[in-house]
This record gives sequence, structure tokens and C-alpha cells, in this order.
Amino acid sequence: MEVGPLIEFRRVNKFFGSNHVLRDIDLTIPTNQKLVIIGPSGSGKSTLIRCINQLERVSSGQVLVDGVDVTAPGARLAEVRQDIGMVFQLFNLYPHKTVLENVTLAPEKVRGVPPEQAAETARYYLKRVGMLHKVNAYPAQLSGGQQQRVAIARALAMKPRFMLFDEPTSALDPEMIGEVLDVMTGLAHEGMTMVVVTHEIGFARQVADRILFLDNGEIAEDGPPAQVLDSPTNERTKSFLSKVLH
Amino acid sequence: MFGLESWQTLLVDWRIFAQGLAQTVLASVLGLALALALGVVMGVLGVVPVRPLRWLNRFYVEFFQNTPLLTQVFFYYYGLPRLGLRLPVLAVGVMGLGIYTGAYIAEIIRAGILSVHRGQLEAAFSQGFRYEEAMRYIILPQAFRVIMPPLTNQFVNLIKNSSILSFIAGYDLMYHADVWSSYNLLYGVAYVTIAALYLCLTLPTATLARRLERRMQATWGGSVS
Ligand SMILES: Nc1ncnc2c1ncn2[C@@H]1O[C@H](COP(=O)(O)OP(=O)(O)O)[C@@H](O)[C@H]1O
Ligand SMILES: [Mg+2]
Repeated sequence: MEVGPLIEFRRVNKFFGSNHVLRDIDLTIPTNQKLVIIGPSGSGKSTLIRCINQLERVSSGQVLVDGVDVTAPGARLAEVRQDIGMVFQLFNLYPHKTVLENVTLAPEKVRGVPPEQAAETARYYLKRVGMLHKVNAYPAQLSGGQQQRVAIARALAMKPRFMLFDEPTSALDPEMIGEVLDVMTGLAHEGMTMVVVTHEIGFARQVADRILFLDNGEIAEDGPPAQVLDSPTNERTKSFLSKVLH
Repeated sequence: MFGLESWQTLLVDWRIFAQGLAQTVLASVLGLALALALGVVMGVLGVVPVRPLRWLNRFYVEFFQNTPLLTQVFFYYYGLPRLGLRLPVLAVGVMGLGIYTGAYIAEIIRAGILSVHRGQLEAAFSQGFRYEEAMRYIILPQAFRVIMPPLTNQFVNLIKNSSILSFIAGYDLMYHADVWSSYNLLYGVAYVTIAALYLCLTLPTATLARRLERRMQATWGGSVS
């Protein structure tokens, strides 16, 4: 049986007012791919990744997730989003809930998983991200790295088809970046499909099997890490890389 | 005027004051319930991504905040019967206090919701929560933390405002104190007494709310990112 792409952009354009943020994006992401998106600030990376779960509506074109057009009027977004995990730059944990409650809330209220089972699943994922010892803590009592690991567990507990990461380490103190990247690397090795916006070039080289360089709303470079990072064809990719690689 | 005899006269008639107090408490509690319900619903309508609903919020808030409570209550009591709707005094009181205070609570709730970081709604959406579910489980509980102090003020205001019910048909603490004092010509003791009785209602309300607030603050830990 022919298996279609997991995520597909068809001539997607996005405007914020007169600001043309995404320009004719065509993109096909198959299951199991680890796609890393790099590019200068303001180039549209967040907007692109947020179009996948429709936190941002497109101005024209289509986005298909598992064959479902999520940009169609009347698309069942809440249902589509249940199967897409997202990790944010600022963690966005629920501050009024404990660590355990952060991870069980959506499985219980959105999926209707019984509380004991949701707690068991939550403990499993919290253990995987090394946060089981903090189940009763509140987010404000955790370091940034710890909060982000809980946020990853929260997303995984919904058993998503794939994961979106929007600069998951950009708000972290340098000494905490490693612990979050380790969790993400582990996830990649287990075969999770991942779309990751990041400035961590080392992580991209090690984990990605494809890198996009986004510039001014356009995909300026698209290929395996060795090609994009070591022999970019685009001038702007070269100058960007020379900056982030020092 | 504040002689021993005056107090004795008042004590003999304590039932009159007790009855007034009971009526005030009843109208306040029911009015509060109505104000909270209306305030939460109307406050949420003030932020939903549906323009006509936001207009409804603006109309409700502006209209009921900017006309005198007494006018509103008189309308329910004298105006509605002309339109064929005659309500019991208690219902008029509850409606008047509830709708009026609800307009203030709606504005407090709206501001509270807007104070919650927008990343919270995005996180909730990203997990598949619908708008109403996100409000209920994630946004409103956080908004309430900000909302508690001004909300308490509204509770206290509502209790004090219930005294305007004395203008309609023999209801509430204020009314009974008025009647009693003009009959006995003892104004001082009567008003000191009811001021004390109002304090007995408002001070515990304020204290209780402040304690609740502190507990919420304590359990969530420090700053919120
Ligand atoms: N909600 C928004 N409203 C208006 N403009 C926005 C909004 N979000 C992003 N933009 C603009 O869109 C452009 C791309 O933003 P973004 O996708 O966040 O870039 P990146 O993530 O690559 O830094 C920027 O010019 C930004 O100012
Ligand atoms: Mg961004």
C-alpha cells in the first residue's frame, strides 16, 4: 500500500498585514523524518511550524496532516491537534497544576483516559525525561531545563503521531541546554517523527536527516545535514552559518 | 441620644433588626451567586474571538455600570409590572444586585483572562483542548488568581449596596432600621447598630477572601513564567 506523506505544504503563503511571512512554501515530510529548520530571526520558522497544527492560519495554500486538509474551513482542529505534540520556547506549562497534573490533564480531559491510567502513563514519560522525582512540584519551583523536560513529557503523554519543537532550548541557561537536547535525541532514536526549529547546529548535525534553511519566508536550502551545513549553495545560508558556527 | 435607655429599647425590639439582617443576608447571597454567574459568562464573552459576543459584553458592562443601581432596581420594581411582569421583592433585590454587580465582575474577569499569558491558550490548543475546555481547565483557574482581590471588593460592595433595597417595599436591614428609628425617634443607636451589623457581614467576607488568596499564592509557588 502506498503511504502518503505525514505532513504536506502546498503553495502556502502567510501574510501578517502586508508582511509576507511565508512565500509559496511547498514541503513534504514523510513519517519518521527528523527535520530541522534553521534560519535568521524573523525568517518565518515559527510561523511555518505553527501552520502545521494551525496555531497560525494560512493566507493561501493548503497544509495536509496525514492526508487531512487542516486548512479547510470546518477542519476538526481539536481532533487533529490531539495527535500532534508541540514544545514551545517558553515551555508554557500550566502554572496552577503540579508536574503530574500537567502531564495527565489533556489525556484525561481531551482523550477521556481514566485518571489512574493517565497517571501511570504520565509517570512513564516523566521517568523517561528524568523528572519523576518532581511529580508534586509546581512549574515555578523548577529550573528552565526541568520545565522543558516536563513539557516534552506532557506532549508525549498524548501519544502523538509526531512532535513539533519551536526553539526548545532558546530560553534556557547554557548549562541546561544539554539535558533537553539529550531527551530529544533519545526520542529521535526511538523513531519519533520530529520537526525542530533550533539554532543548535551540533544537534542538527547529529540528529537531523534533513535540514531546511528558511530565509525571508522562503526555503533557501533543503537537504541532508552534510550538504546544507558543509557545502551550502545559497549565499545567505553561508553567511548565516558562518555566524552561528562562529 | 446614646443613653442606656435607647439601647434597652433597641434590644427589646431585636427581632426587627434580626429579620432585616436575615433579609439582607439572603438577598446578598443570592445576588452574589447571580453576579458571579453573569460576571463569568459575560466576562468570557468579552474575550471570545466572535465579535458580536464581544459587543454584547461591552453593552452589558457599559450599560449597567453607568446607570445608577437605584434606577435599575426601580425599573424592575415599578417598570416591569407595567410590562406585565410582577416580581416578588426578594427577586427584584437579587436581580438588581446581581445584574449590577455582575457588570463589574465581568470587567474584572475579562481583565483577569487577558492577564493570562497567551502561550497558555496555545499550549492548551496544541494538546487538542477546545476553546471552552481551555477556558475552564487552564485559563479561568489562572485568571482567578488575579481576579480574587478586586472580586472581594465587589462582594463587599454588593452587601453594602443591598441597603438600597430599603427603598422598595419594606425589605432589608436598612429599611427596618429606618422604620424602627423614626417610630421610636432613636436614630443614633439604630444606625450605629446596623453599621455594626453590616461590618459583621463585610469584614468576614473580606478576611475569608484574603485568606483564600494567600493559600492560592502559596500552593503555586513563586513567579510564573
Ligand atoms: N502574530 C503576529 N502578528 C504580526 N506579525 C507577526 C506575528 N507573528 C510573527 N509575525 C512576523 O512574522 C515574521 C516571521 O516571524 P516568525 O515566524 O516568528 O519568525 P522566526 O520564528 O523565524 O523568528 C516576523 O516579521 C514577525 O514579526
Ligand atoms: Mg521563532
